[in-house]
Amino acid sequence: MADRIILTIGTRKGVFVAEAAKTRRSFTLRGPMGPGVPVYSTLIDTRGTPRLYASSCNPFFGMKVLRSTDMGKSFKETKSAPAFPKEDGRALANIWSLEAGAGKKDLWCGVEPASLFRSRDGGDSWEMVPGISNHDHARKWSPGAGGMCMHTIVRDGNRMHVGISTGGHYLSEDGGETFHASNRGVGAGFAPDPYPEFGQCVHKIVRHDAAPGRMYMQNHGGWADWTGPGGPRPDIGVLRSDDYGHTWRSIAKGLPSDFGFPIVVHPHNPDVVYVVPLETATRSCPGGAPAVWRSENGGESWNRLAKGLPRKQSYFTVLRDAMDIDRLKTPALYFGTTTGQLWIGREGGDKWDCLFGSLPPIHNVKVAVV
Amino acid sequence: MGPRPTITLHVAGPLRAYCAGAAQLSLSAQTIREVLVELEGNQHAFYRNVCDETGKVRQHLNVFVNSDNVRDLDGVDTALRAGDVVTFLPAVSGG
Repeated sequence: MADRIILTIGTRKGVFVAEAAKTRRSFTLRGPMGPGVPVYSTLIDTRGTPRLYASSCNPFFGMKVLRSTDMGKSFKETKSAPAFPKEDGRALANIWSLEAGAGKKDLWCGVEPASLFRSRDGGDSWEMVPGISNHDHARKWSPGAGGMCMHTIVRDGNRMHVGISTGGHYLSEDGGETFHASNRGVGAGFAPDPYPEFGQCVHKIVRHDAAPGRMYMQNHGGWADWTGPGGPRPDIGVLRSDDYGHTWRSIAKGLPSDFGFPIVVHPHNPDVVYVVPLETATRSCPGGAPAVWRSENGGESWNRLAKGLPRKQSYFTVLRDAMDIDRLKTPALYFGTTTGQLWIGREGGDKWDCLFGSLPPIHNVKVAVV
Repeated sequence: MGPRPTITLHVAGPLRAYCAGAAQLSLSAQTIREVLVELEGNQHAFYRNVCDETGKVRQHLNVFVNSDNVRDLDGVDTALRAGDVVTFLPAVSGG
């Protein structure tokens, strides 16, 4: 079978799957699948026979993990979902992230309240990862507006990075056994101490295989005008690390806002990185004119990409997991909006088209070539 | 303490997949708490849908004994009589 582009789209009312040939001229859409409840996380696992996963966050009957072995034509619940030990006292409130692990059937799952789970059998059974879930800091983390969630899991060999809102960035260098807060240079605007050991509201973290040690972070910015204790803290929202996440520095200069949710790195060039700057008050693009911003030099400067996007009166939000990029030679970006639009940015984001205009509010977009 | 009364648990449509398609279950229990214990032991998949890991009935579910919400009775300690019908129903929602 020729390579196909597969998109999983997690929405407030279930998961959709879009599919296209490599030309990406037109996409077909399947869904919604699942019981019509929010899907905050999806995963396209391309190891071996592709499997699609989706969290299914049922406010009535609890959290489930859905799995598809037929490229998203149907989804079934796995045999179990992550669950805290009964004596722990915590109860699962949401499933925020699903990532493939090292072993063929290994999966990692970040949840709310912020904790990490691991499956070794493709999602049929789960164990809590105590090194971060029971970290000394865990009971001191506090929820942001989206809940107290572990939304980001980035693996790099024996290193594992997790992002927690609001807990910050935690790093494991022993395969997930132990973790330590690694937030030097990561600012917090909502605490008197602008650079606490932990407690930052990290929004998203990415890395690139071709640039060992390089990482990018979208942090909770928007604090340039703060006049309270600790003083203003401009440009804390978009950050870069060159030492595997041990220290971070701002790369926000040149952006119209350092606040935003997603951050995406080009699949073939680690110097090319994309963000969606948002106004803090409305969580929408400045002036109601949506744009993706691209740096081609690792964050030293930024260019606005808006060709084909609405020029005014658009007040959607692009959430932390709602933007991704495919791995074709000339990749395309994809982002979903809280107003239910799915956009494609062809030619690396130079030209935008709306693929679907009236989906439910979109939480999550993942893409793979299968 | 007398014998446990036999009650009927009405299974709402979305939950039938978790108890082999049954529309109702027959249980012996003196209180709602005993219903939950019985479900945890013998209908675990169903139980996980109505209770979280801590054993609490999920926040957005209502439990009825016949037509009365146990919230207005004695909660999970509400006493049951033979022939009672117990139902777990999602709270009404919008959007």
